[in-house]
Order: sequence, then C-alpha cells, then structure tokens
Amino acid sequence: MEYLYHVAVLFCLYAILATSFNLLVGFAGLFALSHAAFYAIGAYATAIMTTSLGMPFPVPMIASIAFAALLSGIIALPALRVSGHYLVIVSLALQVIVLQVIVNWKSLTGGTDGISGVPSFEIFDFALNTPGKFLLAAVPALILCYLFSSRLIRSPFGRALRAMRENESAAQAVGLNILYMKVSIFALSAALAAVAGSLFARYFSYVGADSFSIDETIYILAMVILGGTGNLRGSLLGAAILVAIPELLKFLPLPVDIADKMRLIIYGSVMMLVLVFRPQGLVPEPKGKRAMLVDTEGEDRKADAGWLLEGAHGDQVATVMDGLNLGKRFGGVVAVRDFTIHLKTHRITGLIGPNGAGKTTAFNLLTGFLRPTDGRIELRGEDIAGKKPHELVSAGVARSFQDLRLFTNMTVIENVLVALPNQAGHRVSSLFFKPMHVARQENQNAAVAMAILRFVELDGKAHETASELSYAEEKLLVIARLLATGAEVLLFDEPMSGLDQTTLAEILPILKRLADHGKAICIIEHNLDVINDLCDEVFFLDEGRAMAVGTPEQLMSDPELTERYFK
Amino acid sequence: MDLFLQLLVNGLVNGSHYALLGLGFGLIFSTTRIVHFAYGPIYTFAAYTVWQLAAGSGLPLWLAVCGGILVAAGLGAASYFALYRQLERNNAPPLIPLIASLGLTIVLENLVGVLFGSGVRTLDISGSVHFLGPVFFTSIHIWQVASFVVIALALGFFLRQTRYGRAILAMTDDPEMARVIGINTRRVSYLVFVIGSAISAVAAALILVKDGAGTHMGFHAVFMGFVAVIVGGVGSLRGAVAGGFLVALVESLGLFAIPTDWQASISFVVLFLMIMLRPEGLFSMARR
Repeated sequence: MEYLYHVAVLFCLYAILATSFNLLVGFAGLFALSHAAFYAIGAYATAIMTTSLGMPFPVPMIASIAFAALLSGIIALPALRVSGHYLVIVSLALQVIVLQVIVNWKSLTGGTDGISGVPSFEIFDFALNTPGKFLLAAVPALILCYLFSSRLIRSPFGRALRAMRENESAAQAVGLNILYMKVSIFALSAALAAVAGSLFARYFSYVGADSFSIDETIYILAMVILGGTGNLRGSLLGAAILVAIPELLKFLPLPVDIADKMRLIIYGSVMMLVLVFRPQGLVPEPKGKRAMLVDTEGEDRKADAGWLLEGAHGDQVATVMDGLNLGKRFGGVVAVRDFTIHLKTHRITGLIGPNGAGKTTAFNLLTGFLRPTDGRIELRGEDIAGKKPHELVSAGVARSFQDLRLFTNMTVIENVLVALPNQAGHRVSSLFFKPMHVARQENQNAAVAMAILRFVELDGKAHETASELSYAEEKLLVIARLLATGAEVLLFDEPMSGLDQTTLAEILPILKRLADHGKAICIIEHNLDVINDLCDEVFFLDEGRAMAVGTPEQLMSDPELTERYFK
Repeated sequence: MDLFLQLLVNGLVNGSHYALLGLGFGLIFSTTRIVHFAYGPIYTFAAYTVWQLAAGSGLPLWLAVCGGILVAAGLGAASYFALYRQLERNNAPPLIPLIASLGLTIVLENLVGVLFGSGVRTLDISGSVHFLGPVFFTSIHIWQVASFVVIALALGFFLRQTRYGRAILAMTDDPEMARVIGINTRRVSYLVFVIGSAISAVAAALILVKDGAGTHMGFHAVFMGFVAVIVGGVGSLRGAVAGGFLVALVESLGLFAIPTDWQASISFVVLFLMIMLRPEGLFSMARR
C-alpha cells in the first residue's frame, strides 16, 4: 500500500510541475526549457533553510517560492528578448549553468554529494514521514497549485497570454504589455516549480543535482505534450501516464540501470510519437465557445460602446499627431526620408504609392514598431520618441496590419475583448486581490465587445473561432479589434485590399462614420476609387519620400504622378 | 608567457574539434533550418561504435572509424526519414522539430547506454609526445587539426564545385526558390544529414582516442556545434569555423582568470551572451 502512496506522491509532484510548465509552454507559447532548474532551486532553497538554518515550516517553502520567482524574473528579462529556437537553446544553456553553479558551490550545496537530512513536515508532532502521510501535504499542494494556475488562465490575463502566443506583434498592437506578461508568467511558472521542489526536498529528505538534469526538463515537457499543450487537465493526465509507465516497468525482469534507461527511452519515444501523430495531445485545447475562458453572460446587456468610437475633441478639427521630417535607414538602405505628416480628427488621410515606397515603414514609425533614425513624432504636441507600441496604444494611436494578424485560434468576441483598454484583469495582482472588480469589468467589457461587433455587423459570429471566418469577415474583425482599443488615431494598413464590391460597400461607410465621430484616420490603400471616395488628403509616396501631397482630385489630375503610379 | 603559448595551442586544437562540430551541425541547420539536437547523441553513438569495433572486435582503427562514420551517417538519414520528414509533411510549426529532436536525443542517448553499457570507454592508444619550444602537444592533437583542415577543404570544394554542393548552397540561401528552380530539396536534406553526421563521427573518433567516450558527451558536443554556428552567424560555414575557434580560445585562455571547475560553463555563458547581444552572429555581414 505504501508503494501506491509513493506513486501518488510522485504524481502530485509531477502534476504540479507539468501544469506549471504548461502555463509557460502551452498558454504563453514560450518554450523556455529550464523548468527543472527552478525545480532544483526550490528543492535546494528548502534543503538549505531547513538543515543549515533550521527554519520552521512554512518559511522554507515561502522562501523557495519567492527566490525562484525572483531569480526567474531576473533571468527572464534578458532571455525573453529572444524567441523560437534561440529561446529553447538559451534556456537549455541556462539550465546547465544553474546546475553547474549548484555542483560547484560546494560550501552551500554540498557539491555532488547533495544535502541530506532534510526534515519532513511536522504538524504538532505528527511527522509526515511515510508516503501515505506525506499525501496530506502533497495533495493539498497540488490542488492549490492547480486552482492558482486555473485562475490565471481563465482570466483576462490568460486570454492576453493566448493572444500573445497567437501573434506577438498583434498583441502589442492592441496595447498588451508583452514584457510584463512574459516576465510574470515565467516567474509564476518558476514559483510553482519551486513548490514541487520544496515538497521534493521534504519527501526524499535529500537533494542532489542528479535529480534536476536536462532529462528531467524533457520528462516534464513530455508530460505536457502528451497531455496537450494549452489544457491544464491534459497535464494532469500526462503526468499520471508518464509517472505510471516506469512503475509498470518494474514488473519486468530488467537490471536496474537498463530499466532506468528504458524509462527515458519511453519518454523520448512518447514525445516524438505524439508530435508526429497527435500534436494537439490527448486532451486538446478546446475551441470555439467552449474555449472561452471568461463568462460572457454580460454580453447581451445594453452597453455604451460610444466612448470607444468617439474622438476626444468633439466637433472641431484638431491636429493630434505630427510626424516631422521622419527618416528611417536599414543599414545602407533608406526606407523613408524627410517624411512629414499631420493627422487631424474628423479627417481621413491616405497613403498611396507603389510597392516598396515606404508606406508600411511610415506606419511602423508612427506606431512605435520602428524607431526613426531622423525626425520627431508628436502626439498632441508631446514628443513620443522611444515609446513602445503598447504605450502608444494607451496614449491613443493604434494600427492594423496588412496581413491581418488576427488571433486565429480565439473566438471572434475574444479578439475584440482582448483589445479593450484599461483592463484590471490584465494584471496578475488584480486577479487575486480584486477579483470582484475584475469580474464586474469583464461583464461590462463583454457587452462593449458585443456592441462593437454589432457596429461592424459581426455580432452573429461572436462565438466562432476567428480562423473560420471568411476573408471579408476577417477584415471586419480587424477593424472591430482596432476600434476596441479606443484609440483616437487609427492607422489602417490596406483595410480593403482583396475585397469585392459588396464588402467594400460595407466597410467604406464604417470608416466614414469613424471620421464623423471624430477619429483621426490614416489608411494605406491601392484602390484609387476608394481613395477618391474617402480621403481628405493624400500622400503619394515613392522611394521613401512624399512626392506629392494634396486632395485626391489634385493628385489624380497630375499626369506625371499617374504615370509613375501605373508604371 | 609559456603558459599563454600552451593555452593558445590547446585552444587551437580544441578549436579544430569545435569547428568540425560546427561544420556538421551548421551544414544541417543552415540547409534544412532544423535544429537537429540529436546531432549530439549520434556523435556519441559513433564514438561507442568505433570503440566497439576497435577494442571489442579487434578491427584496425581506420576500419573502425569508417564503421563509426557509416553508422552515424545512417542514423542521420534515419532521423530525417523517421522524424523530421514526417513533421515537415504535417506542416508542423518551426519549433516542433526542435522539440521532437529533444525526444530523439534522450532516446538515442539512452540507447547507447543499453547497447554498449554506460561506462567511460577508452582506447589503449597513446600518441607520441612532441615539444615545440615550451609548448607540449601529441600526435593526436596533430590528427585533430589535420582532420579538420582536410574536411574543411574537401567540404568547401564539394559545395562549390559539384552539382549537389551547389544545390545545398542554393537551399541554404532560399529553400522556396531552390524548390522552384527544380532542386529536389528532400534529397538535398538527406544528403546534408548524411554528410553532417559523418563529419560528427570523425570528431567523435578523435575525441575517443584523445579522452575516451562517455554517454553524455553528445550534449556538450551539440551545444558546441550550436555555439560555433551562432557565434559565426547562421548560414555561414566559414563563420561556424571561426566561431568554433573563437569559443575554444576563449575557453582555453579563460583559464587565466577562471578556476578549472568552471571551464565547462564558459561555453554556455558565451552562448548565452552571444544570443542575448548579437543573435545574428559576429560575422553575419561577411556571409560566405
């Protein structure tokens, strides 16, 4: 019986590790493979505090958690600047470095001998010194960690994480603070791993560097992948299966060291087989309305989305944004030179010009995605040089992308919800300390998001996954998402390319209404009829500079420009 | 000064080793864009095969090395066939091959232990010792440098002068374009997996003769290959060679300032800083 309890304790430890790793890998899409290092840090911190310092529970565990979170936060700042392959390799290197420090810092960690004699938990002289009794600590720990993770994911913050995973630049463009999200999820995931580490030290009463090698990280990763990335319940299942398999191997007559190797061979094979044949895992991430992490009962209420659709300057025409003598060089290539533009409320400004003329680069400069090499950008008279895209969104400048960049695996309404400004639920601390406020705001936001969808006539599709929309609907959703930011200056990168006449007739009035409501609008467009119909002022760009500026009529009556354009 | 010269020579010898690893890994990476992490255990596999053939079956060393090269080339082709090719067919996101490769890594690494036993393996060969002024080196060191020079020159000739070599270069530049102009990219991928793995087997055999083989040696090897490629700049084999030498020199000369215990960490720290500060590599402007 004690043997079964032992397996159950192992399951609890690995279930904590797998769910916390899934937060990082599955929900945030950050393949930072140094989880076992934070597991180790938690274990060592507890071992050192109990043996050398004799601290009573719960001090060592709290210290383990805090230390792992702090250290991971510090490490995350540089490491999360890179992504993809580089992040995987950097984090593996990080894992090696942490273990090297542990092995070489002999005075503190006992080097390769490790630390033994870690006392087990004691509650009023009742020591949790058998596997069965230890479950009294391990099961509540697992439940708490699981609830914590689940709260994190089923919240506006979790929705923002998934948006970041779907498309990082689009997440920035709707005002999400990517750096904050990455660092907090990395730190929280490390903190939960440290909980498992702390339990490990108490349970085995011994910690040694061997238990926390790269193989261990890959083992946990195999659990997450087998169970299904982006699904917490899957991680529980993955942990259960991969903890049980090696125990079953014990019934085969194999020498111990071979059995241990077989165990690792099985993990590796499971990982490869799942990735080839069922990459979504045993319990895939839910889709459509079922995937909605947030209650949307509020969405049918009446909402006033008007404040998001209005400019801040009332009826008068005012200049809100000025780009002055902007220039951008990439190495030796000049993409934009000496470009000056003024965006006014109630006005639609058009950028036209051949491909490669620097139109999108100009957008990138105005919205903080690129830093100009020359010139100044002012928003309501204030210099905004060096501001990040998400800061500009909250200051009132938002843009769309030519290639849409929707959050394709999220529902239509989630695409809009995630872009709404000033969400308390985007901060981790509010989720736990102001849950009522977050819930109330979320209810209101659902209604506002629905109102915006009604504005673009997509309300019927609110709960469909964005990837299932038609091209025209995707374009409408791009507009809805951009509106949701509430920004006063809206930059549309080819909002109408590739659309047929009917859809054009739907989108054109929307843009006009926005200008009527007092937004300052700038669009990149190739269709001259659209330009003619919409724009108050047009910039003709070629080779990175404005060749001509004027009303559409003026530009189109210039034979030289028409020839350049159609060359 | 004498110590400096000695460390410099050590650095150059290890540099040849790392550069060889960088060539093999970089060839696969830059051509297929696959971070073939299992490059490491295949290298280990080769070393154990050579040991098995030479010490176990009593074959002459050169024949054992040929056997090791064949096994590594076979494993390289097999991993492309059984894993990466399947993932490419599924249109898996770019990160997935790397993650799957980690799975393959622990499978192969432990398979080595199951097949050959997990102890450290050494061959009873001690090279002749030479002195050049105050600097000490052995004939094995000379072999390491010479193998690197020969392989680097041969690879350079192959890439520039033969049809398949030029196909590899074309695919390195732009896989889509290579496909459009009628290059069989699948065949080229097999080819680079075979050549890259074979190169790693040469490095493995030399290390076996020099220091012996252990089951975890592959991990360090693939990291060094990766470091060499990153330091040199992705897509440039010359860069990988320069990167390999640079890291080895830093590692070796680092002994002036850093205790021996930490020497193994230097390369990881270099990798870490490199990716943080200059992910495009030191020599990326001077491509090929």
